[in-house]
Amino acid sequence: MKISYNWLKEYVNFYLSPEELADKLTNVGLVVADIQTVDDDFCMEVEVTSNRPDCLGFIGIAREVVAAVGGSLHFPETDYKTTNKEISKFINVVVEDSMLCPRYTARVVQHINLGPSPEWMQKRLKCIGLRPVNNIVDITNYVMMETGQPLHAFDLDKLSDKKIVVRKAMSGEEIVAINGARRALFHDMLVIADSKRPIAIAGIMGGKETEVCDSTRNILLECAQFEPRQVRRTSKTLGITSDSSYRFERGVDTEGVDFASRRAVKLIKEYAGGEVANGVIDIRSRKHAASKITLRMERLHKVLGIEIKRDVASDILKRLQFNVLNEVDDFIDVEVPSFREEIYREIDLIEEIARIYGFNNIPTKTSISVRGSVKSKYEVVEDCIRQFLIGMGFYEVKTFSIVDTSPLQSVNLWSDKSGIDIANPLRQEESRLRTCLLPSLINAKRYNENHGIEQVRIFEIAKVYLAGDKLPQEKTCLSILADTDFFTLKGIVSALLLNLGISSRCEWTVFSELRLFADERAARIQSGNITIGYIGEASKELGFKTSPCMVELDMDYFVESSNISKKYQALSQYPHVLRDLAIIVDEEVTWVSIEKCVMSAKASFLKEINFFDVYRGKQIPSGKKSIAFNICFQAADRTLKSEEVDAAQQIVLDALYKTLGAELRK
Amino acid sequence: MMKHIEEVKNNLQDEIKLVTTLKDADQLKIKYLGRKGIINDLMRIIPTIPSDQRASFGQQINSLKVEITNIIEELIKKFSSETVPKAKKEIFDVTLPGKHPFVGKRHPLTQTIDDIKEVFARLGFDVAYGPEVESEYYNFEALNIPADHPSRTDFDTFYIKNDVLLRSQTSTVQIRIMEKQKPPIRIIAPGRVYRPDTVDARHSFMFHQVEGLLVDEGVSFADLKGVLNQFIKTYFGQNVQMRLRPSFFPFTEPSAEVDISCSICGGNGCSVCSYSGWVEILGAGMVDPNVFKAVHYDAEKYTGFAFGMGVERITMLKYGINDIRLFYENDMRFLSQF
Repeated sequence: MKISYNWLKEYVNFYLSPEELADKLTNVGLVVADIQTVDDDFCMEVEVTSNRPDCLGFIGIAREVVAAVGGSLHFPETDYKTTNKEISKFINVVVEDSMLCPRYTARVVQHINLGPSPEWMQKRLKCIGLRPVNNIVDITNYVMMETGQPLHAFDLDKLSDKKIVVRKAMSGEEIVAINGARRALFHDMLVIADSKRPIAIAGIMGGKETEVCDSTRNILLECAQFEPRQVRRTSKTLGITSDSSYRFERGVDTEGVDFASRRAVKLIKEYAGGEVANGVIDIRSRKHAASKITLRMERLHKVLGIEIKRDVASDILKRLQFNVLNEVDDFIDVEVPSFREEIYREIDLIEEIARIYGFNNIPTKTSISVRGSVKSKYEVVEDCIRQFLIGMGFYEVKTFSIVDTSPLQSVNLWSDKSGIDIANPLRQEESRLRTCLLPSLINAKRYNENHGIEQVRIFEIAKVYLAGDKLPQEKTCLSILADTDFFTLKGIVSALLLNLGISSRCEWTVFSELRLFADERAARIQSGNITIGYIGEASKELGFKTSPCMVELDMDYFVESSNISKKYQALSQYPHVLRDLAIIVDEEVTWVSIEKCVMSAKASFLKEINFFDVYRGKQIPSGKKSIAFNICFQAADRTLKSEEVDAAQQIVLDALYKTLGAELRK
Repeated sequence: MMKHIEEVKNNLQDEIKLVTTLKDADQLKIKYLGRKGIINDLMRIIPTIPSDQRASFGQQINSLKVEITNIIEELIKKFSSETVPKAKKEIFDVTLPGKHPFVGKRHPLTQTIDDIKEVFARLGFDVAYGPEVESEYYNFEALNIPADHPSRTDFDTFYIKNDVLLRSQTSTVQIRIMEKQKPPIRIIAPGRVYRPDTVDARHSFMFHQVEGLLVDEGVSFADLKGVLNQFIKTYFGQNVQMRLRPSFFPFTEPSAEVDISCSICGGNGCSVCSYSGWVEILGAGMVDPNVFKAVHYDAEKYTGFAFGMGVERITMLKYGINDIRLFYENDMRFLSQF
């Protein structure tokens, strides 16, 4: 809310510069975000939190000034003379829905002189960014700013049958609001109507047809209280907000309604002349019942961690216009003023006292108990993976979880259900929760390529969202995209698994997902029956200048199966023996079948087998390939003799020949 | 046998004197060290020698070979430098640039989260996580934000369907944890949150928060100040000042916005702090009794505090980054700076 520095002085005396005032207000919770000089005045932008509708008027802010720096609050004049014509002669008001309109007041002023408002008023309104219109409209705005209570003036002569009905809208009804917006109304909306039609959307905006205009002579001044949720819903549905709806949806002071009405009439009489009808229409469904709260000094101490004396606390509450009913021993009983309805518990009083006492006057204690924190397995694994990949020269990226619905972004490696759509997206580009991280990495790669960076090595650890029963399954994935060849990336994945102490062997089988991967150059990675990831060369269709490879892995599986605890293995005392071999096999024979065959050949002392390379060329018959590898022999208790190794090696070669038809390459 | 060796040595001494050009030296090398040279001739005799003398003879041939090699190489070097006097010596240029290894980096937001985690780990806070897609209950009701309450306007939210939404704050994790555990509780919860904000330099529909929660007997607002002050001094620097302003969050009471003295201008006022000397970095407060009620904690017995901060905001402040979008573009030129 914008306030004028000079105008505020109308309600409270203070000797503070605008900056000092801003500081004081900020310290009690009314942040002054900006101060602008406007002529000989200052416009201060005060941020009022949604729980403080009482501060959406100058009087409310003045009350905070009083609480912060002392002094007393000056209420403006509300006295005026009336004629002896009873208001009931001019208007008949019916409130059909008293839940949605707990209080409705109306006053009538006849024979007004419509014209500009006084210059001082225009100046104040302009200072806080309101455009002067005419004396009647300006006065309703002025009083709203003064009291926080919105008002509306109708042209009395335009109301059919001198009747006001506060009711739900009927189907088919519509209204053109003062701002020119035509809106169809629905039956759950509250309107102000005359005998024929809606003349205002309750609490939000008046109608064009009955607004005060040049020909207006007689007015009906409405000052009411509307139910906040109803105003909020309607304002949202119709897409109309106003200074009035802003206040009603936060809640106005039910006891302040009549005061604001009288204040406005006083100003109208003074600056627009006219005759005020005697009396007021004041329809209210219930009387305000002030809540009573007991504050225990011991509780105040416990929550704030500082002992505040009872008289200090009660003085603060009094300055905030709480009615202190009783003060004995360690208790203060108070009655909450009507404009602070959000306060109904002891803790609310504690906050009020702390706020005015000053948060910065509460000590800074360092006496919490000692406690050691423990890293969860997830954290350990995540840190381990990140460190590993960074050590390998990878950059971590972060991409959005909400993506578009393109075929690429619709890839789902983890479930056959479709992605989860956002019901109220801002844009098509961000309308679905992603089911795969790789498309986002592809976009990051593309972004860099477009900016002249052709080689990237990137990874992301984030969630994918898979449709579930009520809430989706949120699966954490690790995805990598790198300008390396397939086997380099595969090696990185294998090394990563090893690093996490995941020793179970993985199976790599050909996999096809043409939106991501090149045909026949991708694999599904499985551990037992569980798919733990997908790896492959990026599809050419993606149009990169380079040919990157990518992998998406199931982090949840990593966390579950990792074995970070290490145990020392005794180092062998005796040397191992390596034998380099090259065999010629059919093109169809895979490495994994060679490996399996060798490891299951029952050759003595065989420790491991290590692949070197594949060769196809002149010396190799067509349809065949040469595969070079070494096998490693070792005994735990002695140095192996050459003859022993020869024998074992022969067993391996025999098995290879028998199972795979492999010939030793000479 | 030894005689052979001595003979060879003597002959060599004589022949050296005759070497005057590089060509002579090369020829000498072939004569002695070539495939059919004198040394190799000597080697061939080895098998004919009685086995007990073989070893010592072999050793002597070897040392002779080394000696001759050294002498001849010396000659070759001498004459080659004479024959090509103008050839300039290669210089080992130590000023050439080093070969850069691949060095990876954590994303700056991860670095900030890790730093925050580390500071709070020292204060005994564990890390907790919760779902990003949540029911309304955890995002609103349990946090004392009833439906249609005016405070909901402060919490615009992406919905999946009725009652299911993308969490707009990590405070949801407070409820998740308190439902599962009894006090004492001391956690921080980093994670992604979502709000339907149009993207610009300061807004993003997705960003990161770190939530903190401490619940125990006898926890006070003064303890909250103590913990936050400790965090601020450790994270932002010992000279940084902290200021608390009353504010409003439905799930805490009293509630505060926490400012730090602007590190850019040292509190004198600049565009980063809007000339106020203070920068807002987090929201905090004492857990509202209604929140305790939702998780069936005894609000008379236990008190606690909670706080939450925006990771992007803190990172932007720390490095002077002026556009939040940079975090999600993943430009290598950006990521490599941190």
